[in-house]
Amino acid sequence: MKKKALSLLLASAMVVSLAACGGSSDDKNATGTTGGTSTETSTNTSSSSGSETPGSETSGGSEDTSDIEKPAEITILVDGTVFTQENARDQFMAKLEELIGIKINVIQPDHDAYYDNVGQIIAGGDWPDVMILSSTYYSAYAAEGVLWDMTEAWDNSELKKRQEAYNGAGVVAGMEIDGRLYGMPSARGNGCVTYVKKKWLDNCGIANAPTNYDEYLAMLEAFTTGDPDGDGTDGNTFGVTAAGFVGTEAPYVNYLPEFYQDAHPSFYQKEDGTWADGFTEDSMKAALGRLADAYKKGVIDPTTLTNGTADCRNKFYSDDFGVFTYWAGTWATNLKTNLENNGLDGELIALPPIKEVGSYLDRIPPVWCISSTCENPEGVFKYFIEPMQDGGEVQFLWTYGVEDVHWSTKAETLYEGEEKEKVYEEGQFHGCDNLENPGTQYTKAHIDPALALVELKDDPRNESAAEENKASAELFAQNCVTADLVPSTDQMTEYNGDLTTLKNELIAKVAMGEMTIDEAYAKYESDHGAEWSQIIVDSLNQ
Amino acid sequence: MKEKKNQSSASPATGTNRALGARIYRYKGFYVMFLPVFVFAVIFNYLPMLGIRYAFTNYNGIKKPSIVWFDNFNKMFSMPGFWTAFGNTLVISIVKLLLTTFFAVVVSLFLNEIMNIHFKKVVQTIIYLPHFLSWVVTASLFSLILAPTGQGLVNSFLVSIGVVDSGNMIYFLGSTKWWRFTYYLINVWKETGWQTVIFMATLAGMNTELYEAASIDGAGRWGKMRYITFPSLANTILTVLILNLAKVMNLFESAFVLQNDAVLDVSNVLETYIYYQSFNSGSIPNYGYTTAVGLFKSIVGCLLVLICNKWSKKVREGRGIV
Amino acid sequence: MGKSGKKISVFSIVNGLIFIILCLIIIIPLWKILVDSFDLKTAYGMKLWPETFGLDGYKLVFSNPTLYRPLLISVITTVCGTIIALMLSTFGAYVLIQWDMPGRNLFANMLLFTMIFNGGMIPTYLVLRSLHLTDTLLVVILFPALNVYNLVLMRNFFEGIPASLFESATLDGCSPMQTFIRIVLPMSKAALASIGLMFAVTYWNDYTHYKLYIMNSDLYNFQMKLRGMIMGSDLPTASGNATENTIKNAAIIVVIIPFMILYPMLQKYFVKGVNIGAVKE
Repeated sequence: MKKKALSLLLASAMVVSLAACGGSSDDKNATGTTGGTSTETSTNTSSSSGSETPGSETSGGSEDTSDIEKPAEITILVDGTVFTQENARDQFMAKLEELIGIKINVIQPDHDAYYDNVGQIIAGGDWPDVMILSSTYYSAYAAEGVLWDMTEAWDNSELKKRQEAYNGAGVVAGMEIDGRLYGMPSARGNGCVTYVKKKWLDNCGIANAPTNYDEYLAMLEAFTTGDPDGDGTDGNTFGVTAAGFVGTEAPYVNYLPEFYQDAHPSFYQKEDGTWADGFTEDSMKAALGRLADAYKKGVIDPTTLTNGTADCRNKFYSDDFGVFTYWAGTWATNLKTNLENNGLDGELIALPPIKEVGSYLDRIPPVWCISSTCENPEGVFKYFIEPMQDGGEVQFLWTYGVEDVHWSTKAETLYEGEEKEKVYEEGQFHGCDNLENPGTQYTKAHIDPALALVELKDDPRNESAAEENKASAELFAQNCVTADLVPSTDQMTEYNGDLTTLKNELIAKVAMGEMTIDEAYAKYESDHGAEWSQIIVDSLNQ
Repeated sequence: MKEKKNQSSASPATGTNRALGARIYRYKGFYVMFLPVFVFAVIFNYLPMLGIRYAFTNYNGIKKPSIVWFDNFNKMFSMPGFWTAFGNTLVISIVKLLLTTFFAVVVSLFLNEIMNIHFKKVVQTIIYLPHFLSWVVTASLFSLILAPTGQGLVNSFLVSIGVVDSGNMIYFLGSTKWWRFTYYLINVWKETGWQTVIFMATLAGMNTELYEAASIDGAGRWGKMRYITFPSLANTILTVLILNLAKVMNLFESAFVLQNDAVLDVSNVLETYIYYQSFNSGSIPNYGYTTAVGLFKSIVGCLLVLICNKWSKKVREGRGIV
Repeated sequence: MGKSGKKISVFSIVNGLIFIILCLIIIIPLWKILVDSFDLKTAYGMKLWPETFGLDGYKLVFSNPTLYRPLLISVITTVCGTIIALMLSTFGAYVLIQWDMPGRNLFANMLLFTMIFNGGMIPTYLVLRSLHLTDTLLVVILFPALNVYNLVLMRNFFEGIPASLFESATLDGCSPMQTFIRIVLPMSKAALASIGLMFAVTYWNDYTHYKLYIMNSDLYNFQMKLRGMIMGSDLPTASGNATENTIKNAAIIVVIIPFMILYPMLQKYFVKGVNIGAVKE
């Protein structure tokens, strides 16, 4: 044993001694590597790398817009929402370079691991000029000074005017943190609407789609106890399902909005601008009551707790349930085609929000940010970010991609001889066959045309998009409010993880009838939930 | 310097009094052979290990890490959820390890008795297939099979033989009473066959003369299994168990995909707890904190291995497991 | 405990029956995937046979032009990686059975230490980047090659080789390397086959190293691409075509196939008594 202990000691001594000299060698790494990757991305104009200590207020003002220099070359870090290499990214970028006259180096990690990679790249110190960030990373990086403050640039830009003209400026205003803007959304975030199977309504003799909660619940009950799928057996179906009782991401309530209604399980900004935690408010208690009642009645899928999103879709396609709250736009078509493929009636009614819900929630969109180490941020904003939403050629490229690669107006027949055969005349706009997944067509590039913030001139969407796609997107656009961007505070980092876990546990247990509402709130108190919540609210209101 | 210390540690055990230099010279070829292993360990393990120092800092990957000494550990230990998760990890992980190993050994012993070589091959191949399913796919498969509805195969079966009543089906993955049992079962289903690979290979190298001798001595099938086959596996079983103890605290994916909000009391393990803590917080991870948790896990793993290694030396005539 | 022929065959029958039941338990869940991969309709529940049989799922997986390069990369990294990994494990294991070698315990503990402690995601990335290993296939081949767990298992096998063989080899004047090649390797076919298989599976199924250290999708392997297919449809803007579920399940089956073929092939090295002849002196 002694011998073993000694040699273990030796081994650890080795690590320590390595660590000791590592202090200096590591710094060498840091500087050495910045040189390393800049060869990869060739001579990029930015990050000549004093980037370890970013000055947060590097270059704020951009008063004089006239003599802003156009950058020669920039590096951008993007996720899978931009065309990937398999989907002719090179051709897309070549076309973009031609249009805006800037050489673009792209770093595009795997979509699933995007934020791991962003963390690594930022830690590596060699920051790209431009990056796409989700709301979480956006607010955290803005607070840490990674992002360039683009407030002035935006205020003085033509882009703002174009967005205002199209009623799009509210989305950008929602991205401001303490009145400052650090990132530019290229579209709205999109959200979910409630789809109801038309056939099921007919089979149950319900003439009008529900407009309030009582009607909604009555519909679910009819779907559960009756025979909406027409297979001759009563009660082998149920009303609605979701992947879990509460969402994993803001705005947590988007998959079961009819039950949550005006409740906020997490932090939200009140009308007077102060922050509050909606979890202890009466609206949330009422929501829990509705969930528990509905679950007890059996109108909510008994396996809601363990469903994944793919499980929900498959159940919907195999006619196990009839009401599904899912993404507006493209997914309306996806749901329809999959139902029809299963030999079922594909007609879905996109339900306007019932009276108690009022409006659907628009997700906070990802944003395009400029890093604070970018040498010429004004130039990048003016010549890269702005044109993306110019309403013209560049926006068209970002919306539909490259002609004859991603879309075409030539006469052609796709999928000849197959069931889904499609014939296009000369001049008829249509998506080309997907390079990565043959058999499907491209519908869009980075910007979803239905969610654009600036009106696109000569948008072919009216002719090319499917009816149900347009209808659901429009319904959503008319009935949505943007979710609040919750800023990141130290107290949030410290306590919100445990707090949210506790809340989710209580919601699930109450919904499934394992706990009464009073028991749940007693546990919330005793498990420090109220305490943590107060600490975070205080930090937000500071 | 290293070698000197080494001498004091190694020579009493060997009992030889030969000069160290001569002994090193005798083994020179082996040092050369170890060199590539050494280089790999340094590059891929020891250099990154310098990052352990972040455990004592706050580091979000942007600003220079600021030294906070034991703050990260204090935070970790002060959260009430931490100790539950720690306890869950130890119990779930160790029981899972013992169960899958036990079943793998039993299956191997009986597989070894199959005489028909083709049948044996088919069985071996089939039982190892589940290993190739990702955990995500496995979880969605089993949430269907174990569903408390008419679609759930297991519940339908239990209803048909009258064990449960159709209005009262068991929510295996959604009830705190059943979750762990279900979790172990799924793990046994998925990993037993894969673990038999190593045991079957061990049995292949076994000395068949022992069998012949035993037959002459009049040992039956059970006797041979008990006194010959099983002991020849003992060394491998012990190694597998102890090496896996080092990784006991790393339990993540299988628990993560099978757990849900209602069963966190019994299913939340350290890694998933930390994951939720970071993911649900709505802010970017503090790498200092995650490193501190990692270091804590390593120390626990290290202790478990040392304790079991000491115990195993009795079995292995004074030799450690490594 | 009788030994009569009759009783043995009863045992064999019972044993066989138990294994048939066991195989059924294993197969039932897998059957769902297999059926779905041939079924052009999407269903949630279990079915005995596909409702609308069709090979479209497999056709789409194999006709996908972007899958060939990843498949090739998977094969290359699996073959190269397994060879390098086996080399490291056998060398390391061979050194670890030299109980009298000065420094042997230090080496053993040094290896054990790497298994227990690690530096975390960001430091590892920074080290690899400073060595210019990121965004190359080298990182996915070399990184998983040193696996202490497998190395120790290998050493376990080597321990079973009778000491007398080493002694006689040394007397014959063999160098350590010669002994290794002439005695250790030929005696360890089952070990090489089983641990080689374990490495091959690790390399074939690997995606974590790809997603963390490779940001150029030209270098992705098969598993990365299939993962994209399996997970990708949850995006709000995904194009969920009607055969989505069929393709997914076909993809899951396609990944398993190589190992359904490989394992039975390797089992010829698992035959009893490989080293018997050599042990006899």
